[in-house]
Amino acid sequence: MGTQMGTQAGSLVAAVRSGPPAARPSEGGPSVMSAKIVVGGGFGAGKTTFVGSVSEIAPLTTEAVLTDASTSVDDLAATPDKSTTTVAMDFGRLSLDAELILYLFGTPGQHRFWFMWDDLVRGAIGAVVLVDTRRLADCFAAVDFFEDRGLPYVVGVNCFDGVLGHSVEDVREALAIEPAVPIIPCDARERGSTKNILIALVEHAMRRSVAARA
Amino acid sequence: MTKPSDGDDQSFAEVVNNLSSGPWFVGRRRKKLATSPSARPPAPVSEPSASEPPAPAPAGSDEWTEPATASSVVRPYTWTGGRTSPVVDLAMETLVSTAASAFTTAPPASAEHRAVARLCRAPRSVAEVAALLSLPLGVARVLLADMSELGLVVVHRAANGSGDLPDIALMERVLSGLRRL
Repeated sequence: MGTQMGTQAGSLVAAVRSGPPAARPSEGGPSVMSAKIVVGGGFGAGKTTFVGSVSEIAPLTTEAVLTDASTSVDDLAATPDKSTTTVAMDFGRLSLDAELILYLFGTPGQHRFWFMWDDLVRGAIGAVVLVDTRRLADCFAAVDFFEDRGLPYVVGVNCFDGVLGHSVEDVREALAIEPAVPIIPCDARERGSTKNILIALVEHAMRRSVAARA
Repeated sequence: MTKPSDGDDQSFAEVVNNLSSGPWFVGRRRKKLATSPSARPPAPVSEPSASEPPAPAPAGSDEWTEPATASSVVRPYTWTGGRTSPVVDLAMETLVSTAASAFTTAPPASAEHRAVARLCRAPRSVAEVAALLSLPLGVARVLLADMSELGLVVVHRAANGSGDLPDIALMERVLSGLRRL
């Protein structure tokens, strides 16, 4: 801690004593809710770019520490000297109205960390799988996982350099994706494109939800 | 916990081989490959962002700006007294905000709690608290659960009406919010 923390604590006390800034009832009350969308895909498919294109904050990175307690889940036998490992996830934040914040979470790059994926998809509206057609196989794990967990998902085919290298139907066939799942060309750098993918996902999730309740 | 049936066992070498010699059009497999454990490659490359510190907050914003060395100042689980399990279940997107009482009464006794109290004057998710204080997610969960028990932070209600599935009303709100962007 040392002096650094001491200084912070001092300014914190001052800040707390001065009370909150002007109370804004519509902002910050316990009525504010959050929703979550997961963004999956292979390494380099553009997950963090996608999140950053709509996020109101620069994407943050949160880490989870994988310890001995998780070894039954994740086999560390191949690296016996390694007792802990860190898994990082990037995420962004998007205020949709005064009382609703949407979080976009990128899946960890290392697909073997399944325990983190379970934590990620719990309570999520759905997922976006970003695909780079030059490395199509990289997204198989994400598609498999979301299908296995029954999470609604859409596929965004990231057009690097503005070129859709392969037709949507080719991608659908190669990924063995059922016809009801939207596959949409996108540019992960473009806010408008990302917004369209997110809208398509929520619409798809609502259709699925309505169908499941019917 | 069950693993999905395939995908994760495709070795890095196979991916590379598909890239270099095979066509791009490699269909997703339905059956697990029979690979021996010894044939597994070392851990795949991590995302480049994994090694980068959280992005600094833009100037003029109220984002918490933690010095880059902060994570080495305190061992993470000393923040939690060595405990690793939170007393209440918090999702990583669960919002918390500093309780009004934390402003009107004496500030929290511990420096960790004061740091969180300052950060959460506007609602923050558990993941944001972890990232902005350079704490592992599990540590932030324990800390926030403790503070909730002490009445220092308010945990916002979950958006999903029942169970783990978001309800249709929430999805409608998200949809109209996205369309307004």
